[in-house]
Amino acid sequence: MKNSKDPFEAAIEEEQEESPPESPAGGGDDEEGRHEIEQAPEESERDVGVRRQPKKFKSSVAVADGKNKDEDEEEEEENMEAELTKYPTTADPAKMAKMQVILSQFTEDQMSRYESFRRSAFQKGNMRKLLQGVTGSQKISMPVIIVNCGIAKMFVGELVETARVVMGERNDSGPIRPCHIRESYRRLKLEGKVPKRSVPRLFR
Amino acid sequence: MSNTPAAAPTSSSKSKAAGSSQAPEKRKPLFQKELQHMMYGFGDEQNPLPETVALVEDIVVEYVTDLTHKAQEIGTKRGRLLVDDFLYLIRKDLPKLNRCRELLAMQEELKQARKAFDVDEEKITSLD
Repeated sequence: MKNSKDPFEAAIEEEQEESPPESPAGGGDDEEGRHEIEQAPEESERDVGVRRQPKKFKSSVAVADGKNKDEDEEEEEENMEAELTKYPTTADPAKMAKMQVILSQFTEDQMSRYESFRRSAFQKGNMRKLLQGVTGSQKISMPVIIVNCGIAKMFVGELVETARVVMGERNDSGPIRPCHIRESYRRLKLEGKVPKRSVPRLFR
Repeated sequence: MSNTPAAAPTSSSKSKAAGSSQAPEKRKPLFQKELQHMMYGFGDEQNPLPETVALVEDIVVEYVTDLTHKAQEIGTKRGRLLVDDFLYLIRKDLPKLNRCRELLAMQEELKQARKAFDVDEEKITSLD
């Protein structure tokens, strides 16, 4: 566990120090039609690390507002559980400024792709069904679903990006074909990013 | 006449056999629409090929399944399946780990915000 202190204290401390090391890859979620409060934290999610794609900071202004609201409200609360939390890096104004600059220079095509990247997400309902089927238990807690959605999205990102690399090596162009995905999957397996089954899958 | 009843069971058993071997393959597409947008966001074309999407979905389902199995193995040692099991499994993969931490922090913030919102509402109504 990283923080054993109150998230509120951690938040104050981390605000003053440098934002935590950037993760080179990350996915972002934003679901359309969400309440503003919900949107704020969702949007700051995206700023963790974006794989070769710059992050969006237009929304981080909303995030900052939402966060200040939270801080004021948190001050009144006394019982805060220690959580495995990291204060979101979107509070960093330097990063926000950088993002604004990058975003302003996007072409329309880039912007639409970026928007897809941020907004796309796995549906929690479907993920819950899948997890229930796998575990055989009825109750899957929310954090588990959320974490799985996030991990799966990043995995898709790795697959697609590696597939693009493969296409580049073969000098292919156009939409990604299954053969590229298969090669990309094979490479990811070699890198150890895919969990290996202890028992090989016999029947499909 | 006698052939048809004989043929019928064999054909039905054949189709049953074919059906049972095909049934696991014919998974209802769980994530197709979202996957299309996601793949576009990550670098594919605006409209990815359907076979590519199907393959990616298969791979992702298998990935989540395997990951969850492993997490369960760890989890059963202490009794329940917890988020920490998943976090342990992806500990080596820093981007994913950081992303998950952020997501969990977000969820926590959301919870606090909602709780505080309800508290404020109560305060307002009690003032009246």
